[in-house]
Amino acid sequence: MHSGYPAWEHSPFEALRAVSPASAQEKDVLYWAREMDAVATRRDRTSFMRIYDHFQPRVQRYLENVGAPEMVAEELAQEALLRLWQRAGSYDNARSSLGTWLFRIARNLQIDRVRREPHWVNVQDALEQLDEFENPGEASATEAVAAHCDLAGRVEKLPAIQARLIRMSYFEGKTHREISDEIDMPLGTVKSNLRRALLRLQVQVRGRP
Amino acid sequence: MNPQHHLDPATLVSFASGALGEAMVAVAATHLVGCRRCRALLRDADDIGGRLLAQQQPDRNRQGRFEVLRKAMSERLDGVPLETSPQPKPENVLSVVPEDHLPEPLHRYFGTTYSGLRWRWVAPGVRLIRADNARAGSLIMLKIAPGKSLPTHGHGGTELTQVLRGAYDDRLGHFAPGDMADLDSEVEHQPVTIPGVPCVCVAALEAPLRFRGWLARKLQPLVGL
Repeated sequence: MHSGYPAWEHSPFEALRAVSPASAQEKDVLYWAREMDAVATRRDRTSFMRIYDHFQPRVQRYLENVGAPEMVAEELAQEALLRLWQRAGSYDNARSSLGTWLFRIARNLQIDRVRREPHWVNVQDALEQLDEFENPGEASATEAVAAHCDLAGRVEKLPAIQARLIRMSYFEGKTHREISDEIDMPLGTVKSNLRRALLRLQVQVRGRP
Repeated sequence: MNPQHHLDPATLVSFASGALGEAMVAVAATHLVGCRRCRALLRDADDIGGRLLAQQQPDRNRQGRFEVLRKAMSERLDGVPLETSPQPKPENVLSVVPEDHLPEPLHRYFGTTYSGLRWRWVAPGVRLIRADNARAGSLIMLKIAPGKSLPTHGHGGTELTQVLRGAYDDRLGHFAPGDMADLDSEVEHQPVTIPGVPCVCVAALEAPLRFRGWLARKLQPLVGL
């Protein structure tokens, strides 16, 4: 939450930018965090529309990739962005990047509305509440931003086969078995590649000094 | 509860990407609400999704349509009420619920309490309840008598088993409440329950393949596949 920083220029994001030359990814994450802060604290419509312009087409594309027909994807993408406007106050930049926050909203909408699996939203609510209990104080916002940027860079550097399996999982919503059948790779190899991909990213993020 | 056996990270990738069927989600979530370590890894898996979403390239051919949507959104902003973040409800948190309460992700399928479960006899020392409302895969609860040795068996597909009460041992280790056995189809094992208390588990078997392709995509919103 931003409430500890009355004006955003005193926030840890500025501090981070002051001490280290920002990578392209850091600039990105910092930029969106700043726009979100303006939406949350000042209901800044210009900032919101900047977020909209950037993310709406991406959210819509994601939804189409995972199986929503075009008109449905359009409607759900609008709803995802409207939720961002309505719930901006509950966005916590120390916990996730804006991209991750929107990914969760879009994924949950797709599972709830397109696949009609209402249990999923209940499960997500329960997990989110647990996160709220344990997360505060775990890491500073500065560390969190650095970790998000780091992960962004690592995702881009995954070995080709791991990157392909990760894409098939996230962007085609495929199970391990479906991936195995489609690309004719043994199920165990699919799993070990996905396992390695996640652990590689995780170790890099949490292994930071 | 401090689980010693966890979800396979590959399963967490499926969970985060929305690729797990309903039965598997119920069992994986039962583990997640009691396992901080797996929840932390799940957050990383969500981050991958966020990063991939951010990498998407917008379709430039849709600029005209985008302008229409953009205007519509801009006009909607004033009309919507703001939401404050909901207060955490302690009754939803596994660690604080009374002894008789089932983990929350199972309520939809098995009710809210252990004492309310209606067990069916299937074999000497083995009782079972099958959830008939989990739409993908099969979801069962098992109660196995203390000190009982089950026959050696393999699994047709991936199976997730979470121990709720009691415990068992097999060649993979000791599985106590909170522990997850995330098993491949290749794994064969022979669980032996510990003496003293029955072992209660919840298990999900992988769903059959989902039908894919353009027709399924057209039908999905209509029939709720």
